[in-house]
Formats: sequence, C-alpha cells, structure tokens
Amino acid sequence: MRSGFIVAVAAAFAVLIAPLTTTFGLSAMAEDAPKDVRGIFLMSDYPAVTLRPGETSTISLRLQNYDMTPERLGLSVTGVPVGWTATLLGGGQPVAAAMPAANSSVSLSLRLDVPKNAAMGTQTITVAAQGNASNLQLPINVTLAKDLPAKLTLTPQLPDLRGTSKSSFEYQLGIKNDSGKKLTVSLSAQGPQNFDTSFTEQYGTQELKAVPVDAGQSKDVKLKVTPPNTAAAGDYKIIARVAAEDASATADLAMTITGQPKLEISGREGLVSTRASAGKESTVPVIVTNIGTAPADDIQLTGSTPSGWKITFDPKTVDRIAPNDNKEVQASITPTEKAIAGDYVTTVRASARGESASTNFRVTVTTSTMWGIAGVGIIGVALLVMVGAVARFGRR
Amino acid sequence: MQREGSAFSGLGVVMLKELSDHLTSIRMRVLEWLVVLIALAALYGAIQQIKDTTAEDPFLFLRLFTTSRDPLPSFVSFLSFLVPLMAIGLGFDAVNGEHNRRTLSRILSQPIYRDALLFGKFLAGLVTLAISLIALWLLVVGLGLLLIGIPPGAEEIARSFVFLLVTIVYAGVWLALALLFSVVFRSAATAALITLGLWLLVTFIWPVLSGALAQIFIPPDPRYTALGLQTPATAQLEQILARFSPSTLYAEIVVALLDPTTRALGPIYLSQLQGAVLGAPLPFGESVLIAWPQMVGMIATAIVLFVIGYVIFQRQEVRA
Repeated sequence: MRSGFIVAVAAAFAVLIAPLTTTFGLSAMAEDAPKDVRGIFLMSDYPAVTLRPGETSTISLRLQNYDMTPERLGLSVTGVPVGWTATLLGGGQPVAAAMPAANSSVSLSLRLDVPKNAAMGTQTITVAAQGNASNLQLPINVTLAKDLPAKLTLTPQLPDLRGTSKSSFEYQLGIKNDSGKKLTVSLSAQGPQNFDTSFTEQYGTQELKAVPVDAGQSKDVKLKVTPPNTAAAGDYKIIARVAAEDASATADLAMTITGQPKLEISGREGLVSTRASAGKESTVPVIVTNIGTAPADDIQLTGSTPSGWKITFDPKTVDRIAPNDNKEVQASITPTEKAIAGDYVTTVRASARGESASTNFRVTVTTSTMWGIAGVGIIGVALLVMVGAVARFGRR
Repeated sequence: MQREGSAFSGLGVVMLKELSDHLTSIRMRVLEWLVVLIALAALYGAIQQIKDTTAEDPFLFLRLFTTSRDPLPSFVSFLSFLVPLMAIGLGFDAVNGEHNRRTLSRILSQPIYRDALLFGKFLAGLVTLAISLIALWLLVVGLGLLLIGIPPGAEEIARSFVFLLVTIVYAGVWLALALLFSVVFRSAATAALITLGLWLLVTFIWPVLSGALAQIFIPPDPRYTALGLQTPATAQLEQILARFSPSTLYAEIVVALLDPTTRALGPIYLSQLQGAVLGAPLPFGESVLIAWPQMVGMIATAIVLFVIGYVIFQRQEVRA
C-alpha cells in the first residue's frame, strides 16, 4: 500500500513537472530575461562557423523582441563573397522582412551556398535588420576549411562475447553523429565466412540497413551475429562499420565460440535393424559419430532392451571421438529364450559428459528351425509307418 | 512273408477311373456349386466391407479371405465348414459302396492289388478336392484383382498359396477319415452319419468340451478368476485338448498365415510382449514356422488315418 502511494505521488509530480519543463525549454529566453533587458535583438547561437567549400549549410538566426512594440524590420545580408549565395529563409521560404511580436521571437535561417573553388580563409557576412526605430547588425564569421574532424563515432558497449555455435551474439553499438548536420548512416558488418550478421533496432526485430542520426545526437543499434552451426571452437573477429557521406567509423568486435560435442548413433550404412534367434547372441555394428564442434570424451554405451534380454558392447566405453569422426562398436544382443517371433525395439544410448544420443534398433526375433526339422521327422515317421503297413499287410 | 510286385501297379487305372467318376457325379456337382456359390457370397461381402472400411493396409489382398460382413461369415470360415463336408461327401461310400454294389471282388479279380485300390481311391478324392480348391482359389484371386484393383504382392501370393496347400491337406484329413469309416462300416449311411457326427463333434462341440475338461483337470486359480483372467495352466491344457481337433489346427494355421501380425498361437505372457513392436508383420517364413507344428499335426493325422484304414481293409474279408 505504502509503496503504491509513493508511486502515485511520484507520478503526480512527473505530470506536474513535465509541462513546466516543456514551457521552460521553449521560451527560456523570454521567461528568464531580466526585466531591464528591453529592445529587439538579432541573434544566432553560433555566430562563427566552419564550413567546407562546395557545400550548402544553414545557420540559424533569431529575431527576439523584449517588451517592445512590434516593428517591421527589413532584412538584408551584406559582405557575401563573390560566387557565394546567401539566402535568408523564414518558415522555409526566402524572406525580406520580419516582424517579431512583443516578448516573442521569429526564427530565421541563413542558407549559404559555398562554391567549390572558394578560397580558404575567414569571411565575415553581416546580417542586418533595419526598422524605423532599430538598426540591428549581426556579423557572422564563416571559416572555410578543407577537412572537418571525423563526424561519426561507433562505440560498442560490450565488444567481446562468448557462447556456443548455436547461440546468437548481440552487440549493442552506439553511433554518434559529431557533425553539424543530420546524417543517414549506413550500417555494415564483416565477419568470418558463413557468419550471418544483421543490424536491428535496439528494441525491435526489424533489420536495418541505414539509420538516420541527428546532428550531435547518438543512436543505439544492435548487431546480431549468428555463427554457422558447424563453426569450430575458437576466437573470431567481426568488424562493424558505419558510414555516411564521406565519414565512417569502425569498431572491432570479438567473439569466442566454445565448442560442444554432439553425438549421433546409427548402424553401419544407416541400417538400424538386425535379426536374432531366441536365446542366441547376435552382433550388430553400432557407429557413434561426433557431429559437434568439440571432441567428445569418455563415451559410455548403454542399451535398454525388453525384459530378460541381454545387451553388451565391445568396447564398453570409447575414450575420445574427435569432431566429425566416428567409432564403431559391436553390440551383442541376446533375446530371452522365451521371446516370441517378431519385431522388438532396443534402444542404444551413447553418453559423453553432458551429451547423449540414442537410437532405436529394431530386432527381428526368428524362431528356431529346430521344431521345423522335428516336424519333418514326425511326417517322415508317419510315412515310414505307412510303408511298413504296406509291406506288412499288403495283399499281393 | 515275402510280398511280390509293386503295391502301386494298377494305381493309375483306379485313380483315373475314380477321378472321372467323381468329376461326373451329380453328388460332386452339387457340392461344387454349393461351395462356389457360398464362397462367392462371402467374397462379395468381404470386398464390400474392404471398400467401405479398410484404410491403408499392406496386406489388403489377404483381407479378402478373412474379412466378413454380416450376416455372412468370412471366406475362410466357410471353407473350414465346407471342405470337411466335401471330403466326407466324396469318401463316405468309397469302399462300402463297392461292397454293396458287389463290384469289389470283380475289381480285385483284375490285376489290381488291394493296396492300389485304396491308394487310388484316396488319391482320386484328394485330386478332385485339390482341383476344386485350386479353381476356387484362382476365382478368389481373380475376383479380388477385378474388384479391388490392387495387384497382390509376392508375399501375399505366397501366403495365400500356402493357405491353399493347407486347405488341401485339411481336406485330406477328412477324406482319410471318411475312407476309414467306409472301410469299417458296411452300410454307407452308417458311415456317412458317423463321419458327419464326428465332424460335428470335433468342430463345434470339442472346443467347448476342451474348456470344460481343462477346468476339471486343472481347476482355475481363484486369484486369477478374481482378476478376470484365465489361469495359465488351465488355458494351456485347454489349448492342448482343443488341438486334438483338426478344425482347431486348421483355424490356427489360417490365422498365422493370413494375418501376418500374428506372433504366436499359444497364450502369451505380458512380459514377452515388452518392447515388442505391435502390429509389425512377421516375415513369411516366420509365419510358416509358427504354424508348422499345426501343419505337421494335420499331415501326420491324414497319413495315420489312412494307414489305419489301409490296415483294416487289407485284413478284411472282401468276398461277400
């Protein structure tokens, strides 16, 4: 009850705080502004930027009015170098004037098309807002540079994983966009042959080929690596690579596959049936194969038979079977004396440490032909009696 | 005393004459029609039943012989009734008929030995029965092919063929018995009645009687009775007694041959069934081996019955 109450209170606070912070974030300037600041200002968060020749960039501007009567302000851009194109955009369209209301702001952006052959160095572009009462100037320093620092970083959270060849390995990767604009980052990974790699959302199953990352933001994705079932035990390297436009980043990931023995039992040439006479021993070859990725040690062979039957193996235990290797064992099956003719099921089991396999062998019990011969003897005796009768009682 | 000459000289003559007599006699014709019509009815019922109900079955063809449809019994149960009737019908007046017609001494005045006469009569009867049974078997196989449309496998043919041979041997047992009584009794009617009576006794009454006798000799154990089970010793004795009847033997052979899943003909302990794959058919040779003691019993019975008849006939006064 008490904890429930606390949760409820916390939730109520959260509800109260959430709208507050939102408002706060949106109009921080207006609310926080000291009362003695009055006037209309032309502002930019970053009035000095670095650009690359041949690119189009936008610089965000803002016209802010604190406690002043709204005024029409004509906008102009001066100091644009020859060959450059500077356009003032408001609400997505080129604008020539702006009119911020009292205690509010108008967002503007300056779009700069820098030609490819523009000279290196710093240029100063001045944005001016001219009204009846105000005359605002904002110089913006534009520095042209050939090489910007790397824009993407890729950080794996857990770069080294361990598992069996049947498990799938999941790496959490953080992609950070350190460049000044939103990028569509393409994702790729390179693993050993036959290893299946796929990127998915962090909480989702949709496979990804590329993911958009906002400027200055980071995004987490998941790289799932599925090794082939036959992958041998050992260490493997996977290189995850993200690329956008001309930036790229790689991360080295490692995985360790621990091998596992896996046993399989069959008869010679796949034959899992045999014939046996009641009470007589018959031998059937049993082939134990290790189809796993690690050697199987100390393999015990056992069998379960109908009651009264006997089953023994020669040898009883196999010391070691390497992966993809097999050993032949002779199983001797003795049906009980009282077994009636027909098919019976005998299970042969091989168990190494923690791994076992079993197969049903079908044993066809045949009845002894002894009685058949005895029957022929009885008929023979009957015929002899007849011959004797003919010889003794015949009337010729 | 030294015998001269072969016991079989004149055998061919007697056999051929008897055979032609049998095949042209009204009695044989009536018996044949009876058997053929009843067999056809049973077969038709079986085919209808197979078409209606049988799902996949590896031995569909053998079902022709064993499937029954109310109110008719199956083909094999018809055969187990009719084959003795046919055999008795052919044999009951074999020797005493000759006596009564006073033809016996006339035949024996020919260069034909008594040995050959009896052998010939027996063989002629057996050949007659074999001919009609083979014809009947072919009829069943042919009709089965025609109406079911599935050709029988080699094993089905082998099983049904051995079944045919066993049926001929079964006919031989009753023929030998009929021949024996036709030697012993001078009146054909007496011989016929006694043979038929014996047939009724061993076929219908003996199975019930053997159960009762077994319970007298080995009273059932109350512990088994309380569980609703038969006492093993009593059941064993009952089966031993029941097997004195050729019809029991015949029925057991038929079950082993025509139902390949039969694994044993005697009582089975549950412990023997542990681990057994139930419903798995036995190989043909195994089925024959299971029924082999019964077959031996029937063949030996036929020979012994014939030999008894033979000895009595040889010692009889024929000039009457």
